[in-house]
Amino acid sequence: MSKQSEANLSGFPMRPYDMLREGLIVLGFIAILAILLAAIFSSPDYPTVRGEDVAKLQPTAFLQTTANILAGNSEIQTYGPPYTSDNQNAQAVLGIAPATWFGVSTPLDPKQDFVLNPLTRISVLNKDLDAALQVYKTATADQQQAWLKAYMAGLDTATVENDVVKMPDGDYGPVPTLMNSMLDLGRAGLLSGVLDGNAQLPYTLDFTRSLLYFQEDVDHSVADSLNMLGEQWGISHETGSYPGAWWLWPYTLLYQIPPMSTSDNGDLQVVAIVLVMLLIVLFMPFIPILNRLPRWLRLYRIIWRDWYRHEQLDSTSPPATESL
Amino acid sequence: MNLTQKTQDFLKDNLTLEDALPTQLPVYVNSTAYLFGVSALSALVMLILTGIVMSLFGPSWYHLSNIGRFFNSLHFWSVQILFVAILLHLVTKYLMAAWRDGRWKTWMVGAIIFFVAAFTGLTGFLIQTNWDSQWIAVQAKDAINAAGAGSFFNPLNLGQVLTLHVVVLPLAMTAFVLLHLFLIRRDSPVRPIAE
Repeated sequence: MSKQSEANLSGFPMRPYDMLREGLIVLGFIAILAILLAAIFSSPDYPTVRGEDVAKLQPTAFLQTTANILAGNSEIQTYGPPYTSDNQNAQAVLGIAPATWFGVSTPLDPKQDFVLNPLTRISVLNKDLDAALQVYKTATADQQQAWLKAYMAGLDTATVENDVVKMPDGDYGPVPTLMNSMLDLGRAGLLSGVLDGNAQLPYTLDFTRSLLYFQEDVDHSVADSLNMLGEQWGISHETGSYPGAWWLWPYTLLYQIPPMSTSDNGDLQVVAIVLVMLLIVLFMPFIPILNRLPRWLRLYRIIWRDWYRHEQLDSTSPPATESL
Repeated sequence: MNLTQKTQDFLKDNLTLEDALPTQLPVYVNSTAYLFGVSALSALVMLILTGIVMSLFGPSWYHLSNIGRFFNSLHFWSVQILFVAILLHLVTKYLMAAWRDGRWKTWMVGAIIFFVAAFTGLTGFLIQTNWDSQWIAVQAKDAINAAGAGSFFNPLNLGQVLTLHVVVLPLAMTAFVLLHLFLIRRDSPVRPIAE
């Protein structure tokens, strides 16, 4: 026995024990439990929301999302680090904004990266698109915004007939050609490829762009239908009635409480509080009151009930024997 | 300095064969509460075994194969069992004030294991390559980025998340669990609170 154990166990009676036998029995029990749960309940697998699905099933939502990105209204356009260099939207607590410490590691310009660059890549296949792109790129910023504003307003009353989105009359410039080309990309199932594909790296495992594309209205409406929004305890849910990451409940709980639930800095506030909670757990042995609480609660008497029962009945006798 | 001799001396002092493979325990170790730790360890073994099988076929295997789906389900439920066991282990060790007599290191390493397990769980949800992964990635990124960690960990980068989940984090978890077990066995089970 180690020196430490010899010192700690000095005077205490011992009982026979077979660690490997106990370990194998528990492992067998846990394995059977997992097999039964897996066989009876299987596991969740709700399909992803793909550009192809949105383009086919909700073409106006697809076009709203795309026009919104091209107009520079997407959340990512002014997100701050690690995507963009403008720090004004970086979250801060007590004037500290950790997001700004390490700069832009995943540079993104949604207007270019999500819309104009993909269209430019495929314009070689479509002369009308190529011409529309030239018109759009050479127009003034004010003119571009005017077309896009009119287009997004028109989408509100647009109708879909035989998979064709019919816009009301209006001055949209080249925008409908650009948007319909993006819609075609989506319908063809090529959106993710053109967003995530990188000419310099033929292999890609980074889906940052395609995942961010629909992260606003489209993803939120799907999440809402599945009760998975942040205010519905968000990511600690699983789809269906499966248990999710319930161990994150203290984290998701904080998102339900003001000021975190309403603040622009809510994420960082939650992170700061969770960090304090983790430090409390980590340093529990040294935190006054909390480290004395077990003695006051005396619930340990349930765990060591045999030991205390013996102590009580036989308090004057020598230390306990193996018969316990 | 003879490193081998030093290691031998260290083991003689801190981890004898009786510590590593005990055949006797103090009589007060006699409660179901002592099974939560080994339950967590067993769930971890299940996770590693099922994880190895799934890593042989890749993260999309289970979408297309019934056998893959079964192994995914085994992995999924083993995670649930792991966290139930960890939570029960944590609560009972707290109620026993198990950090007494210099065992604070064991407690702190255990807390670190819990944190690593929670992060490993997050990466596991992210590599399911389904709606949950998609939604959790775009939601979790905001807290990660706000904390300044976005420059090192991008939950939308499947390649990074995958290698973290199947290599780096299991190795870290295993290392901390071995350290935890070493400290537990070196120091022996904490004695009941004197009244």
